[in-house]
Amino acid sequence: MKKISFIILGILLIGCETRQAEEIELSANDYHNTVDRITDIMVHDIFSPPVASRIYAYTNIAALEVINSGEKNLPALTPQLNAYKPIPKADTMANINFKIAALVAQMEIGKAFIFSEEKLVNYRDSLYNIWEEKNKESFKTSKTYGEKVAEHIKAWSSKDNYKETRTMPKYSVYTDDPSRWQPTPPSYMDGIEPHWSKIRPFMMDSASQFKPEEHPEFSMEENTVFYKELKEVYEVRQELNELGNESDEIKSARFWDCNPYVSTQRGHLMFATKKITPGGHWMGICKIASKKSNLDFEKTVYAYTATSVAIADGFISCWDEKYRSELIRPETLINQHIDENWKPILQTPPFPEYPSGHSVVSGAAATVLTQLFGDNFEYEDNTEVKYGLPSRNFTSFNQAAEEAAISRMFGGIHYRAAIENGLVQGRDLGSFIVKNFELTPVASR
Amino acid sequence: MKVRLVIYFSLIFTFFSCEKEEKQPPLFQVLEPGETGISFSNDLTETKALNILDYLYFYNGGGVAVGDINNDRLPDIYFTGNQVKNKLYLNNGNMQFEDITETANVSGNSDWNTGVTMADVNGDGLLDIYVCAVVGVNGLRGKNELFINNGDNTFTEAAENFGLDFQNYSSSAAFFDYDNDGDLDMYLLNHAVHTVNTYGPANIRKKRHEESGDKLLRNDDGKFTDVSEEAGIYGGPNSYGLGVATADFNNDGYTDIYVSNDFHEDDYYYINNGDDTFSEKSKEKFGHQSRFSMGSDVADINQDGYMDILSLDMLPEDEKILKASVGDDPLDLNNMKIEKLGYHHQYTRNMMHLNQGGKYFQEIGLLSNLAATDWSWSALFADYDLDGRQDVFISTGIPKRPNDLDYIKYVSNEQISRKMNNSRLVDQKALEMMPGGFVPNYIFKGSDSLNFENKSKNWISQDSIISTGTAYADLNNNGRLDIITNNLNTPAAIYENQGQDGNFLQLSFEYSDTNFFGIGTKAITFQNGKMQYKQLFPAHGFQSSSQMRLHFGFINKTIDSLYIIWPDNTIQKEFKVKTNQSLKITTENNRDTFNYAQLFPRNETWFEKIESLPGIDYVHQENRFNDFDRQKLIPYKISNRGPAVLVADLNGDGKDDIFFGHSKFQDSELYYQKEDTFEKDSLTEVLKNNKTEEAAVLAEDFDNNGKQDLLIASGGGEFFSGNKALQDMIFYNKNAFEVQNLPIKPENTSVAVTADFNKNGYLDIFLGNGAISNDFGAIKDSYLLQNNEGEFQPVENKVFKELGMVTDAVWSDFNDDGQQDLIVVGEWMPPKFFQNKNGFFQDISDKILPKNLNGLWQAVIPFDINKDGKTDYLLGNWGLNTKFKASEKNPLKMFYADFDENGHTETILAYKKDGEYYPINGLDELVGQLSYLRKKFPAYHKFAGKNIEKIFGKKPLENAKVFEVNSLASGYLLNKNGKFIFKQFEAELQVAPITEFLEFDFNNDGNQEVLAGGNYFGLTPYHGRFDAFPGAIITSNGQIKSGGETGLNFTQKEVRAMNLVNFRGQNYLMVNFNDKAPSFYKINSQKR
Repeated sequence: MKKISFIILGILLIGCETRQAEEIELSANDYHNTVDRITDIMVHDIFSPPVASRIYAYTNIAALEVINSGEKNLPALTPQLNAYKPIPKADTMANINFKIAALVAQMEIGKAFIFSEEKLVNYRDSLYNIWEEKNKESFKTSKTYGEKVAEHIKAWSSKDNYKETRTMPKYSVYTDDPSRWQPTPPSYMDGIEPHWSKIRPFMMDSASQFKPEEHPEFSMEENTVFYKELKEVYEVRQELNELGNESDEIKSARFWDCNPYVSTQRGHLMFATKKITPGGHWMGICKIASKKSNLDFEKTVYAYTATSVAIADGFISCWDEKYRSELIRPETLINQHIDENWKPILQTPPFPEYPSGHSVVSGAAATVLTQLFGDNFEYEDNTEVKYGLPSRNFTSFNQAAEEAAISRMFGGIHYRAAIENGLVQGRDLGSFIVKNFELTPVASR
Repeated sequence: MKVRLVIYFSLIFTFFSCEKEEKQPPLFQVLEPGETGISFSNDLTETKALNILDYLYFYNGGGVAVGDINNDRLPDIYFTGNQVKNKLYLNNGNMQFEDITETANVSGNSDWNTGVTMADVNGDGLLDIYVCAVVGVNGLRGKNELFINNGDNTFTEAAENFGLDFQNYSSSAAFFDYDNDGDLDMYLLNHAVHTVNTYGPANIRKKRHEESGDKLLRNDDGKFTDVSEEAGIYGGPNSYGLGVATADFNNDGYTDIYVSNDFHEDDYYYINNGDDTFSEKSKEKFGHQSRFSMGSDVADINQDGYMDILSLDMLPEDEKILKASVGDDPLDLNNMKIEKLGYHHQYTRNMMHLNQGGKYFQEIGLLSNLAATDWSWSALFADYDLDGRQDVFISTGIPKRPNDLDYIKYVSNEQISRKMNNSRLVDQKALEMMPGGFVPNYIFKGSDSLNFENKSKNWISQDSIISTGTAYADLNNNGRLDIITNNLNTPAAIYENQGQDGNFLQLSFEYSDTNFFGIGTKAITFQNGKMQYKQLFPAHGFQSSSQMRLHFGFINKTIDSLYIIWPDNTIQKEFKVKTNQSLKITTENNRDTFNYAQLFPRNETWFEKIESLPGIDYVHQENRFNDFDRQKLIPYKISNRGPAVLVADLNGDGKDDIFFGHSKFQDSELYYQKEDTFEKDSLTEVLKNNKTEEAAVLAEDFDNNGKQDLLIASGGGEFFSGNKALQDMIFYNKNAFEVQNLPIKPENTSVAVTADFNKNGYLDIFLGNGAISNDFGAIKDSYLLQNNEGEFQPVENKVFKELGMVTDAVWSDFNDDGQQDLIVVGEWMPPKFFQNKNGFFQDISDKILPKNLNGLWQAVIPFDINKDGKTDYLLGNWGLNTKFKASEKNPLKMFYADFDENGHTETILAYKKDGEYYPINGLDELVGQLSYLRKKFPAYHKFAGKNIEKIFGKKPLENAKVFEVNSLASGYLLNKNGKFIFKQFEAELQVAPITEFLEFDFNNDGNQEVLAGGNYFGLTPYHGRFDAFPGAIITSNGQIKSGGETGLNFTQKEVRAMNLVNFRGQNYLMVNFNDKAPSFYKINSQKR
């Protein structure tokens, strides 16, 4: 009897092959998880903020393109993108699960752009196994389509000058100009991405479209604006010393540090503290807002894409000015002129000072997010908890952006002009993105 | 069956691999603790309070001191333990030792012990023991302890009575008489413990820091007084002192000091001024130093009567470790430390400093094969095999490699940093993630050349133990030196010397009441005209002191003479001394004062340095262009080969005038010689051109109008091929200079030479072109320009097309047919001999030159070096003191292709090591140019140890153009009946590239000599600087006279031009350097 039932079971199992396939259900969380996974790998691989922003933009665009080729229920963003050609249509739309295809496209782009492929492949294959088991047919068609879109996006991205800029000349540090940027302690790293302004912008007509007003003229004369701003950085640090580590200023500085590679040296022992980039942090805020607003999969992708494009163009815009003005960091000047042993609260990142990258990017991202989710959107930001920092509460995206900007002065790595003008630059860019994308709110509040 | 096969197979393999190597028993046998009774083990316990995170020198280990504490002529051994108690073992003979620590009362009371040294501090004829401690770091208590020998195998701690009870961060101490007052003073070596984020400027070493600054203590009748400041000893917060060696380096009868400092602080070279003060002169006397300096040792390795210095660092030999570890600083950071902060040139490798007559040191670590011994602590020079030459033992290893790149970049973050920031706890697991550095110790056999042969696999066992402090002593009085190592977490090792060959002589001394054992005594032996020179300073190596005797090895049984120079600089001599005995030497009465100048004569001076020639005020300034910014993987710079200089009578008044070329952005300078001075000419407009860099300047009458015209060939590594700034021009001397472009494509010209090759009465020109900017590896055409009555026309001949990266050329009739032939040399190519057959040139190199002569040739000059009447050719090459390795069988390779297919070419350099080709560059450097490699190798350990095929793929390498170098040695082509054989110069001409030759009868003896100059700095810190060549005279019978012997010293300068200038009837040598003012030497031409 037992034997017989085994045989029957066997037949039944074989029979399963032909049974009605299960629809693979995916939620917005599946998308969030993949974004997070790519973020984790970027942190491990140590991508600089501009390069990370490029990865976020292309991965999200790939996903959105897939979504939009399905039941097109979202406004298209891609026609506005520079040098972009529409994605190929699938041979047949039948059987494509567009969410799966979107994740496939996103991960394929991610895999191509990050270094440690193995880490993403392991994650991808575990998803593939689940999907294949649930509905082999649908999975296969969706995967094929996702990969096709990914190839298309890769081809587009390959013309953005990224590859060429990898091997352009290193930034030369030799100068007699006292205002010119110099490598900073403790690693004295080369200025990173000196040619980032040559990257094709996603939406801006050129890297200099949102060129900020010029920074106060360099001068070490006591009554000049520049010198006063330098002195301010020094004095703020002194005040914070008195207020101590528990002060809100220091907490906010650390919260918004977003430095992907802080190196510490103790004799022969060296180690790195790695965190997400400013772009990564705003991706996290986008996630929080999307979840809080219960966005569906499609709208989630839409929100990520719009935000990531604003951030990516923000870095191009910012880096354009950084290597135009090549301004020296406060740490260098304070060490030279005021206090040899002065150290900022945050480690000075390895590129010129003006304008503040976090200010530009936060301004741009907050403007886009405000359009998508509305103003006065209150949220608790726990993005940095994973990196050992407590969460902070905000009443709006704009408030967060303002705090992120001014925190750079608390951190001792920027002058006031870089913060204020950077924020303006970012917001202008953000408004431009909102307008050109004709961004529509995604959350009903 | 299978097993047997394997055995046969491995037997065959062994036979093959041992073909040349005679099978010999190892020279040293490690004795087990059970055999000797020595069970001491320096066991470390990482605790929450103390570990590598809290104390940077947690893994530095303990020391060893050897000395006969009970005067039974058997050396006893004292070990220090960092956390465990120190131990004293009494030598009972026959390699049997007895632990008498408890009864002797010498276990020590400090929480963390470091160095130990033995000396008779109180002058009672009994060795006392001084033990250093680290006090104050993370609650470590204790003090430096002085155990005074009671004479009955017991000791009494009395540091306080002597004023030596320091509570510092001490590494070790050395007792010696610095003020020649007869008693023993002490140098206390301390180390900083702070690990600041910023490098302070170098001059903070002048601010004294109590705990980390070194101290010089003067012995005032048994009380030690700190005289550091008045004696000129640095004691700053940046002194990471890990090694101290004392010796009389300049043979003036006063003891000098060499201090090895870790990290960015320079090593200190203190010259004893003889007036109780020292002058620190490392920058003046050393071209560069080891960066992470640890232990050191001194010995006269080349038997010239001057003490040489080996200072240890941590460059790994193993590719897998090398490419996974932090290497040298990037160039910009390296330059910042030097130019902005004032530190000296320092590179991560062992440095072998050869003492040149006490005047300066030449660093020859790479040439001598001693540069890479991984994480190295202690060096001990001695003649271990009794063949009359100094060998060296180096102890190595570290429990955890904190400089592992994967650990720093990828592992540490996840594992420890958050813990560090939050709770400052160390996770044992996190430490375990750090790879271990268990490296077998090294031993090298000395030779007659400057080369040391690695005998680690033959002479000692390959145990992967971590040895730190070491000492040598003849423990069983068989005349052969045994080695004692203090090991981390393993019992101390006794390496018993089981050698069979050679003869020995051991000397111990009884000198005076206040310096009983005669520390500072020198002994010189002569055997068959060969000198051996030793000085008794037992504290050396690392944190250790060796036996209180001098030990010599000899091939022959009798020593012709033996000089003893006592610490008071008196001498006594013995003749026909028998070897194979241990002598105790006591002072004779009525000793003569030793005349150092007699034994170490001041060299004859062919050249006398003078300030300048009157009126000449020229300084070459190289503009700050970094070739590596543009092409990150090129082997060396090509933008700093200037200046070009011309000495000629330009205005026809019979006097030498001088034209100085300049770098980009600066005008050339022209000086006319007047009656008693030179006068700078305000350059006529036509000659002004600050956009170019002159590469070769010639003055000839090209249009036969009786006036000297100027040929100015431009070059430089900053301009792209075809750039106008590279245009070569002739300035015809008519009423005014009239310029005419030469009818050839502008390239990076490196050399211009003239001859009337077609005998039409007009001078023709050969123009050689070198490597070009932004496309290193591309080969440009060189040109032969025929002079048709003042009009130039390129000669069509394929032999000059894509000739090579030319550096030098010379017209010379090498086949004696009365026609001027052409010889061209260059980099990544063999010398080229072009035969002139009635005006047609044919490359006949293959017919008359040996094969496999690809080199990095820099210079060529015709010279009959063996006086056989036939012209030979001297060739300047890269030299052998370099990380480049090249041979006929295993050439250095350079692959040239567009590896990342972005429209720009790259070069990949590879050397052969253990049968495989590896890239010279590390992953980060490669990724800087070839970004796709980061994706291919997301972790360093995946890259490290991979050969080039695995890194770049077979196909891309096959498709690349391959350049090879088979010989890096400078040498000469010896003319054997019209064919040539290549002979290498001896070692002293291989210490740096030779870039210039100048022929003249410098000493007016009727024979011509050739002066060779060189050095080159256009390199990344991976290579360091080639700065060790002082210049040399090559005589017409092939003898070499080093620069120092003739009054020249070009070390630390890059020679770019050497010319004779006749000024008021006197000949002067003018030497031009890159980025410096020229040097002028008066030629003392009286007959010798």
